[in-house]
This record gives sequence, C-alpha cells and structure tokens, in this order.
Amino acid sequence: MTDAMIGLVALPLTGALATLLLPRSATAVAVGTGLATTVAAGLLLFGVATQGALHYEIGGWNAGLGIALRADGLSALLLMMTSLVVLAASVYASAYFSADSTRDRFWPLWLLLWTSLNALLLSGDLFNLYVTLELLGLSAVALAALGGKRAAVAAALRYLLVGLLGSMMFLAGVSLIYAGYGTLDLAMLRRVVEPGPIAWTALALMTTGLLLKTALFPLHFWLPPAHASAPAPVSAVLSALVVKAAFYLVLRLWLDVFANVVTPVAANLLGLLGASAVLWGSWRALQAERLKLLAAYSTVAQLGYLFLFFPLLLALPPGPTRDLAAGGLVMLALTHGFAKAGLFLAIGIIQQRCGHDTIRDLDGTAQHLPATTFAIALAGVALIGLPPSGAFLGKWQLLAGAVETGQWLWLLVTATGSLLATAYIFRVLGHAFGHRPYPNQPVTVAREEWPALLLAAMAALVLGLAGAPVWKLLEIGI
Amino acid sequence: MNATSLLVFDGLLLCSIVGLAWASLASHDERRGVILFIAFGLLLAVAWGRLLAPDVALAEAAIGAGLSGALLLAAVRKQSPGSSRTHANPDRNRSESGAKVVLQWLVTLLCAALAGTLAWALLHALSSTPHDTLPRAISDNLVASGVSNPVTAVLLNFRAYDTLLELAVLLTAVLGIFALGQATAGYQPAGPVFDGLVRWLVPVLILTAGYLLWVGAHAPGGAFQAGATLAAAGVVLRLAGRSRIGLPDGFALRIVMAAGVGVFLLVGLTLLLLGRSFLDYPPAWASALILLIETAAMLSIAATLLLAFVGGQPQSAGVTAAANRQREEISR
Amino acid sequence: MMTTQVLYGLTACVIVALGLRGALLHASLLQRVVAINVMGAGVFMLLIAVAYRGPGLPPDPLPHALVLTGIVVAVSATALALALARRLHAEQDND
Repeated sequence: MTDAMIGLVALPLTGALATLLLPRSATAVAVGTGLATTVAAGLLLFGVATQGALHYEIGGWNAGLGIALRADGLSALLLMMTSLVVLAASVYASAYFSADSTRDRFWPLWLLLWTSLNALLLSGDLFNLYVTLELLGLSAVALAALGGKRAAVAAALRYLLVGLLGSMMFLAGVSLIYAGYGTLDLAMLRRVVEPGPIAWTALALMTTGLLLKTALFPLHFWLPPAHASAPAPVSAVLSALVVKAAFYLVLRLWLDVFANVVTPVAANLLGLLGASAVLWGSWRALQAERLKLLAAYSTVAQLGYLFLFFPLLLALPPGPTRDLAAGGLVMLALTHGFAKAGLFLAIGIIQQRCGHDTIRDLDGTAQHLPATTFAIALAGVALIGLPPSGAFLGKWQLLAGAVETGQWLWLLVTATGSLLATAYIFRVLGHAFGHRPYPNQPVTVAREEWPALLLAAMAALVLGLAGAPVWKLLEIGI
Repeated sequence: MNATSLLVFDGLLLCSIVGLAWASLASHDERRGVILFIAFGLLLAVAWGRLLAPDVALAEAAIGAGLSGALLLAAVRKQSPGSSRTHANPDRNRSESGAKVVLQWLVTLLCAALAGTLAWALLHALSSTPHDTLPRAISDNLVASGVSNPVTAVLLNFRAYDTLLELAVLLTAVLGIFALGQATAGYQPAGPVFDGLVRWLVPVLILTAGYLLWVGAHAPGGAFQAGATLAAAGVVLRLAGRSRIGLPDGFALRIVMAAGVGVFLLVGLTLLLLGRSFLDYPPAWASALILLIETAAMLSIAATLLLAFVGGQPQSAGVTAAANRQREEISR
Repeated sequence: MMTTQVLYGLTACVIVALGLRGALLHASLLQRVVAINVMGAGVFMLLIAVAYRGPGLPPDPLPHALVLTGIVVAVSATALALALARRLHAEQDND
C-alpha cells in the first residue's frame, strides 16, 4: 500500500517521458498512465482508510536526513479527486486538441503537471514542497500558454512572475525554519515549533507566498485572465486542482504543522480576505460577459469560502463540532474541484461548437448541446450549494460553525455569496435555454461530454449523497 | 588571514555585492542592468567560496551568473537589435504622477519592513545554539552513501528525490520553451580570432566537464556543474556561428532530454522491484549507481540549458547552414 | 552567534528586500526577472550563511545542496519567462 505513494509520483512521471519519446502513441500512453495512476490513488485511499496514516521514507533514510512521503485522510481524499479530475480531463483532451503539434507538446507537460500535484500532496518535507511548487508552477504556466494566442501568453507570463514571487517568499520562510529548527521534516517540525519570531515570520512568509498562488483576494488579479485564456482542459485543472494545491498547503501549515503558532487574529485576517474574495468574485462573475471569465471569477469566490473556515476552526474548541466543520471544509473543496472542472470542460465544448463563449449569444445551446447544458446545470447546483450537492453539506457546516461561535459576519457573507452565485448561474442557464425543438441525440461527442457530465454529477450528487466517509477519513491525521 | 583582515574583506565584498545589486536594479538601461547582474553573480560566487561552499560557488558562476546572464543578454538583444532599450527608471523620472510616487514609497517601506522582520527572526535563529543533528547524521552516514563529498551525498543519495524533481523542473521548462516556437536564428560565423579561440576552448570545456563529473564524488563538483560547463561549450559554438553545436537531432535529442529523469526513475524503480525502498542504493553499489545517474543527468542538464539558450527546438543543421550562406551572400 | 553569519545574514535580508522592491516596481519584464533572481540570491545567501560554522570547521552541507537545487530551478524559470516574453513580442510585432 505504501508503494502506491511512490506509484502516484512515478507513474505520471514515467508517462510524461513515454509521451515525449513516443509522440505518435502519446494519447494512448497518457490515458493508460492516467488509469494506472487513478488505481494507485484508489489503493492509497483504501490503505489509509484501513491502516491509518501512511508514511514512506525515500532511500530508506530516517525522516530528517532523507525525504518522507506522508498520506493521511485529507491528502488521500485530495489525491483521489486529483486523479479523477485529471483522468476525466485527459479523456476530454484526447478529443479537444486537433493540431498535431499542440497535442505533442500537451501530453508530456500534462503528465508533468499531474506528477507535481501528486508529489505536492504527498510530500512531508518543506524544501521538497518548494520544489514541487516550482514544478507545478512551471508546468501550469507552460500549459496555459499552449496554443500561443497573445492573451494566453500574456496571462501566462503574469502567472509565472506572480508564481515565482510566491515561491521565493515560500523559500525564504523555509530557510528561516531551517535556521531556527535545523529540520525540514513536517512531522518533526510539528513537535518542535513554538510561537516566536522565527515561527511567525516564517509562517507569514510562507503563507503570503501560498496566498499568491491560491489567488486569495487581493492577490487574485492574475487568475481570471490566465484561467480564461487557457485551453479548456487546462483551465479545468488550473481552477479545480492547481489553486487547490496551494490552499491545501496553507491548510496543512496552519492547522497541522504550525497549529500552536497561529493566532485567532491571523485567522480572522484570512477570514476577512476570504469574505472579500467571496463578495468580489461573485460580483465580478455576475458581470462577466464570457463564460470562461465567469467560471474564473467563480473560482476566486469559491476559494474565499474555503478561507472563511479558518477563523471558525480556530475559534471552536477541539471536539466533534470542530471535526464536523473541518469535514465541511474538505467537502466544499472536493465539491468545488469536481464542479469547476466539469464546468470548464462543458464551456470548452460550447466554445468549440458555437465558436464563442459569450453569455448573451448563447441562445438555444441547450437544444443542440443538451448533455453539455445539463453538465453546466449540475455544476451550477454544486457551485451555488443546493442540496444534494456536497457544497450544501459544506456550507451548512460553515453556517453552523458561524452560529456556534457567534461570528455572524461569515453567515452574512455566505448567504450573500450564495445568492450572487444563484444569480450568475441562472443567468447562464437562462440564456442557454432557447425555444427550438429538442434534438434526437442527447450526446454529440462522447469523449468530450461524458467527462464533463460525470465530473459535474460527482459534485452535485455523489459527494452529497455519499459524503459520510469523508468525515470518517478525515479523522486519520498525520 | 587573521580575523580583522577577514572582516575587512567581508565588508568590502558585501558592500560590492549590495552595490552591484542596487546598480543593476536601478539602471535605466536594460543591457547595463543585465551586465551588472552578471557581475553580481560572479561576486556571489566569490562569497560562496569565502563561506566554504565551493560546490555552490562553481554552480553559481556557471549557471547563476554564466548561463542566466547569457539568457538575459540574448533576451535584450532580441527586443532591440542594434541599440539597447532604455526604460524609465522608477527612481529618477520626475514627471511621475503623485499617486505613483506614493506607491513607490509604500512599496519601498514594505520591503524595508520585510527586511527588518526577516533580520529580526534571523538574529533570533542565529543566537540559539546551532542545530547539529542533520549535519552529524550526514557525516555519520557518509561512508554508506557511496561518495565522500557531503554535498553530492545529500544531492544524489539522501535527498535524491529532490534532485529527481529538479531534473523534472528543467525538463518542464524546456518543453514549455519548445511549445512556444522555433529556435532563434543563429549568430554570424565568427572571425578568425574568435574561431581560433573556439577551436581549443571547446575541447577544454568538454574535458573540464568530464573532470567535474568524475571528481564530484570526492571533491567540489558534480553533475550540475559539469552539465553547465558542457552547455557552455555549446553556447560558445553557437556564438561562433557554428551550425553544429553538439545537440543531436530528432529522436536522439529527446532521449538525451529525458535521460536524466529517466535513468533516475529506472534506478529507483528497479530497486523497488528488488524489494528495497525507492532510491535506496545498496551500499556496495552506491557509488556506481550515483555515477551512472550523474552521467545521465549531466547530459540532460547540458542539453536542456543549451536548448534554453537556443530558445527552442533547433532547426536542422542543413537549414542553419543555408541561412548562414544566405546571410553571407547578402553581406557581400 | 558568529560575526560572519550575522554579517552575511543581514546582507541577505537587504538583498531580498532589494529584489522584492525591483520585482514590484519595475515595468520592464527583463528587469522584473533580474529582480526575482536577485531576490533568490538573497535567500541563497541566507541559507549559506546559516550553514557556515567557522573558518576551520566543515560547514553544514544540507543548505549547500538546497541552494544548488534552487539555482537550477531559478534558471529554468528564468528561461521559460524569457521565452514567453519573446513569444509575446513576436505576437505584438505581427499586429
């Protein structure tokens, strides 16, 4: 079972090399690698569920001297989500790219991106996290610029520079930690870190770097153009997974490694920024002219919700209420991952078939792309937070926690944000439903529409109805 | 050297380094800024040597100052053939609007605050007793690691996983560069003096690279420094206008690009299949495996850095030669 | 606390701040990239200063390995950024 951890990194990396060396069979190799990696993620999830938190010391050296990989309930769940989303997007991408040259460039970079996501989620060493962050950033930028259109390249360049700034700040924090504590291993640090100038400064530096990468308001300016101009499968993964990875690191650092260093004041600051993100992102999404821009701003807003949990989790005393809230956070993160990916894939189909993604000119797409519109509707349900989506469970926990701790502001923000989300989703659906007769064939291009449908269904139905295991798994901490 | 003269040396070195950094960033001429940055990098290499970090000094000189500098200079050349571009220096332009000046002062204040906080935390860290568990563990396990250079041991054995991912970073960057377009046009064929220099410089560089690779096991050196030196040989050939710069064509090129990560993975997974942990070298085989991985890594690093300088997938040798011939005919 | 460590450590903080300021304020892409590299150099100096143990004693090799990795990562990122800029200029020239 612990070998699955190595498999999760080695399989996509080997696949990347294979697709580089065998461009003609690249698609088959890539999808095959995707299936294998997903199986490994499933094995890991099973292993964590049955055996508890797992760890693997690379090279056989004790953690500290070498680098350790660690998996607990949180990371195993995120790894499973990553695998399913990337697999679905890979199937979609196999039909999306028409030009040979773009396709040849796409697969190796795509699999390298997957490698970096898995490596980041599994890493148990601070400097190794820096390297995985850089790998993630570079592969994401290279994919975002694929196709070479001016808007995409400009947005990718800005993304790269912002990302580099973030990485440098993260590395400064890591260096300070090594200077102060002499170790880079996360488990060891959890035991020795104490509140003080070193821990505060290092955490502030690392968090700022990560907030740049997770696009939390007001450091979100780079996200909408980058996600809106990238090719559809890339946008799906960028919004659903890449920004989520940086958020996962903030979560891991604040609630796990530096748990006794964080203060409620700092958590409130994160909460306020999250609230601003929810309101600003939802408002801009409502004003957006293009579907992709709407989806990108929606990501900014949804990430804000995730940060609203921080002040709650710090205010609640350890116990069942806190565990429920933490589960709600993860459920919201997972649901958004699936929903946003499904949404972007569906928008990609519309963009290819209709030639544009302007919302106002969408009349009647529901009629000739019914499966796609249904996928958008399902994703919309999950983004608004209607039952039975997983987001409903997550937001419910958010509201319950806000009531419990008396932090009414978050209640107000969540309600307003959900209302705005309802508005912008219904605006899209309103334009999508015209008055033309219903076609005979619901699904037009299977390889593109099934992934979008399945992802959206996962978010809107499966996670909500079968969500109890999430809470159980989260009890398995590192 | 006694303590006082060392202190004077340190003071002068650090003042020069900070001065060069300031001048490079304050320069309103891009080319000058880049050249000052290269000088900054070279003085950094001196500082690393002073602080007993010769491996890092070699890498900084070859990669940090050398190749980065070459990349940046080539970028300046691309933007403005002939004259170098001047840019409004944020400090000097007096016609800036009031808001912009306020913003600049705010940012400067913010950065000063950052420096202060960082310094405060650092002083706290340095005043506590140095943590020696890791350095002691490294020296204790050095014999089992297969090499006697501790930095190589850390890079290729204890923290080999980091190095594997780092080679993947290099590969990602070059694949991204490939996706953006073809290589830049080459340089004009060199005159007789430069050509003569190249004729003996390139073999020396190749030999040095091989030496650095071999010696990295027990002295400062290793795959990265060797790879950078090898890339430098290719850069020199390119600057001399040669069409063949040492890169193979087509499939062979991909093999070389993938070799670093590939051999690493191969070794790691084979060890896994043999029942050991990933990248857990048996002590008897460790030095041989490390040399194998380093050789493949050196070739990959050299190819990747050279391709980054060239700016994309190189046109085949025939096309470049034809282009050179065309240019010669035009200049006549 | 060694004077050398303090000296180089404080200088490192100054260099990091200089680099950050340059990255935030400059308009030209090239100078931004240079500034980020300068910032990186500052962080590297921090690590190497922490690793130094004194004139006769062997330094801590771990930060040296980290800095080596960091240098290679920085040059990769620089190369990609410059390639993107070159493509952007090519697109703008074609308009």
